[in-house]
Amino acid sequence: MVAGLLPGVRVLDVGQGISAPYCAKILAQMGAEVIKVEPPDGDEARRMGPFPGDSPHPERSGLFLAMNSNKYGVSLDLASPDGAEAFKRLAAGADIVVENPPPGSLETHGLGYETLKTINPGLIFTSVTPFGNRGPYKDFKATDLVLYHMSGHAHGLLGAVEDPDSNPPIRAGGHQAELVGGMAAATATLMALYRKRMTGKGCRIDISSFEAMVNQLISGLASCAYGRPAPPRDAIEVEEAAAAGMVSAIGGILPCNDGYVAISPREDVQWERWLGIMDNPAWAADDRYSTRDARQKNSPSLWKLLSEWSSNHSKHEIARWGQEQRIPCFPVNTVLDLFNDEQLAHREFFVEIEHPAAGALKYPGAPYKFSNTELPLAARPAPLLGEHNESILGKLE
Amino acid sequence: MSDLPLDGVRVVDLSWIIAGPTATRFMAAMGAEVIKVGSARRPDPSTRGPAFQAYNQSKLYCALNISSPEGLELVKQLIAVSDVVIENFAVGVIDRLGLSYEAASAARPDIIMVSSSGTGHLGPHKDYVAYGSLLQHYTGWNSISGNPQSEPVPGGLWADPWVGMELAMVTAAALNNRALTGQGQYIDFSMAEALTAGIPGAILDYQMNQRLPETMGNRDARYAPHGVYHCVGADRWVAIAVTNDEEWQSLCGVIQRPDLLPDPRFADADGRREHQDELDAAITQWTILFDDHEATRRLQEAGVPSGPSLDMCRVFNEPQLREVGYISQIRTRDGELRELPGLPWRFEGGEEPIFTEAPVLGQDNEYVYQELLGLSGREVARLVEEEVIY
Repeated sequence: MVAGLLPGVRVLDVGQGISAPYCAKILAQMGAEVIKVEPPDGDEARRMGPFPGDSPHPERSGLFLAMNSNKYGVSLDLASPDGAEAFKRLAAGADIVVENPPPGSLETHGLGYETLKTINPGLIFTSVTPFGNRGPYKDFKATDLVLYHMSGHAHGLLGAVEDPDSNPPIRAGGHQAELVGGMAAATATLMALYRKRMTGKGCRIDISSFEAMVNQLISGLASCAYGRPAPPRDAIEVEEAAAAGMVSAIGGILPCNDGYVAISPREDVQWERWLGIMDNPAWAADDRYSTRDARQKNSPSLWKLLSEWSSNHSKHEIARWGQEQRIPCFPVNTVLDLFNDEQLAHREFFVEIEHPAAGALKYPGAPYKFSNTELPLAARPAPLLGEHNESILGKLE
Repeated sequence: MSDLPLDGVRVVDLSWIIAGPTATRFMAAMGAEVIKVGSARRPDPSTRGPAFQAYNQSKLYCALNISSPEGLELVKQLIAVSDVVIENFAVGVIDRLGLSYEAASAARPDIIMVSSSGTGHLGPHKDYVAYGSLLQHYTGWNSISGNPQSEPVPGGLWADPWVGMELAMVTAAALNNRALTGQGQYIDFSMAEALTAGIPGAILDYQMNQRLPETMGNRDARYAPHGVYHCVGADRWVAIAVTNDEEWQSLCGVIQRPDLLPDPRFADADGRREHQDELDAAITQWTILFDDHEATRRLQEAGVPSGPSLDMCRVFNEPQLREVGYISQIRTRDGELRELPGLPWRFEGGEEPIFTEAPVLGQDNEYVYQELLGLSGREVARLVEEEVIY
């Protein structure tokens, strides 16, 4: 049995979907004992997929499985007196409760922080909601799409476009706003847990996924605070900004004969070596490309020249040549490439877990290794609905 | 003494650029004493301007040339009286400087040392040089985003800020463990793996269905309508996500199209997804009449998840961020009052986080060398003269 970093820490995960469950997942892989408390019809993530054969099944939803590995699971009807009582007993013995309800919904069952702290004063109670519990937007409904757009990220994702009015900003795939909310919750919760260890004090933590997303762009916010304009989307304005020296570094993707490669030979020394990889093409001596400044200002035409060369080579080949010359350069990988990546394989990044309904699957592991403590990354599969009702709730009686 | 969570924790911050400084900014605001260690010999590339202000609020800053023998000795003395040391140099640099975990833990046995690099500190590609923007492509993170059948999106700024928060998280986990067991840690952090961990759906879908992610712009595999809709003004859009039938009914009311409700083609999410082009056109007929904030207000009043698609400066101007105290005023040393970002959480009933402006190199030399390490003024003067404190 691997103990992890947080032996003896007990967490109740009342979350659904992604944000709060992701916070609790992090706590579980750090070694806390996490009990997922689901309503009788199960966590919303059980209906989110992806499913094998695209056939919905509550025990085979990829997102549910990924967000809830290494947790125990009970099902409770918090609206019933018995369910509420059982929850209170669980909370009495917990260090942390994590939730992501519509604002106030645990409250409506008489199970909000104010109630729970009377039975467990040292409790850390973490709420993740789209906008937190204050401000003009506190009751607004939002999803990952809405948060990605409202926080400014969508305007940066596509890069320059010819006609912004027919080419709207888009979101990133994969629930990134929900994951950021969950990571912010885990960060704040672990800091609160440290304070609890030092002082015995509990607290309530209010996480706004909107702010967590905005906080990913603090350099952009600070630029605004210094009176600078927002980065443009319109291709002509982007070129003008580049010509005015507002683009700080060249970089991007080049087409290859088997996909794309991402490069950014921005420093003069890197550029020199990059030209060597391309067998020193004649155009490199042109004034438009001979200095870093000039390359930045003329990056659109430069990119065309680079693309002509790269189209004849493979992405892995170019990436290897670049890295051999110490130039930051990577293949644009598909998910399949990731499973074949020797670096990820060497580091044993993917973790295989056998699940009774979904079978053996490889899950993303932890991007960190602790020298003195092994993490319980594959302690148990995500729980079946109500799997530990008897072993956990039974013991309460 | 404060009541902040990391009160009493001292951090030696050898990190630079974005990811490491983002991590220590979280720690500093939550009460840790963060001492940024830098040198005029090799300045932090983001030393000036708004970005530096954003990433380095609330820190102390001392000057030290750690590649000199006396500089190395001093940083070890500083580590000996600290709890955490964090660095994000290229792999191998910290060892060559003589500050491996072995050396750091010799100075302080229970030190928590956090090392972040592009691909991690072990493995055949550990020496790969990396920028965050390129790692987003390498890790598959960008591969799940984009319009249908288009080339990979360039991707916004994601890798470094995300990793910055995660580094703060792992440090807090290690501090908890140290409080319990008394042991320190060396933490080998891979930025690439942090990004790949952010696309679990695509990774599982591939194994379940042998399928690579289909990029679908603003659309969703499950919900419809789901997109951004043009409003009054150039490049102005409102994002709308209908996640259930009730929201669909509300939306039809807001856009004054009750005629869509009885249409069996739109009765459930599957049907609405199939006929999304038609619905998008109908929704746009309404949104195009309104300012994006006004459209949002009307949609939210009816319970439809929605919000404007904002550029950076419009995000900055959002009243929500001021009313909750996320953006607050700080007087910077140029004499201006500037509205700078804070922390994306509130500890209710707790002390407010600490925000002071970003420091300048060497401003805390006296505190670090004389007060903490007990050097005399004369010794400090000599070390300055010899460009050790530099």
